[in-house]
Amino acid sequence: MENFMTLTIKAISANESFARSAVAAFCVDANPTVDQLGDVKTAVSEAVTNSIVHGYAGQENGTVEIDVRRSGSVVHIEVRDHGVGIADIPRARQPFFTTKPDEERSGMGFTVMESFMDELTVQPNPSGGLLVRMSKDFGAPKKRTE
Amino acid sequence: MKVNGKTVNHTLYASLCGELDESCAAQVRQQLDTLLQSPDIGKVVLDLSGVSFMDSTGIGMLIGRYKSLKAREIPLLLASPSSVVDKLLSLSGIYEIMPKIVG
Repeated sequence: MENFMTLTIKAISANESFARSAVAAFCVDANPTVDQLGDVKTAVSEAVTNSIVHGYAGQENGTVEIDVRRSGSVVHIEVRDHGVGIADIPRARQPFFTTKPDEERSGMGFTVMESFMDELTVQPNPSGGLLVRMSKDFGAPKKRTE
Repeated sequence: MKVNGKTVNHTLYASLCGELDESCAAQVRQQLDTLLQSPDIGKVVLDLSGVSFMDSTGIGMLIGRYKSLKAREIPLLLASPSSVVDKLLSLSGIYEIMPKIVG
């Protein structure tokens, strides 16, 4: 079945829970396992948190846009912001890389997205900010992360 | 997110309950630090069984507590994470510095 959902939220951390729960609710129709749904929730939370904490640096006037598209057993998720973006994306994707070590940031966000989803691309948003694309096939055998 | 704690025989048993993300990390950090201030602590066991969700914000928060406890030579143990939280913690390698215990 083909389906899609578009969500625009104010870039505040109080909306993170709503965003990941809404995406998970959309995905339920594709018949994921509990573990797969947990993976999606965590990955979405990472992407949205990154937009709020890094993209907008806590400024509350930004928006985060989340598109979810389902094609059969595969869900494609796009998380976009119009914040400051990331100058060196390959470096930012390295485990433990953080621009905010004083704030007890783990620098694990992109590593988590990459590990918990099947595919991840990170690129500048053409209209400014950051664009994160990720997908997961709920029909695929369990991914080995070790 | 709810934070509770009690000290028995110099071990602080603290528990977290709810979802741990950016929206509550500062509050959890503050509440845990208040519990950890007690001079009577020789070990800390953090019960994660009530944590229904955690993202990497939680990892950063845990590492921060670990560092301050390490300076006081107090070990920190993580107890009973749910499978979704356990997967995240395993990925992060955090169990190498704060071992997982069951029950």
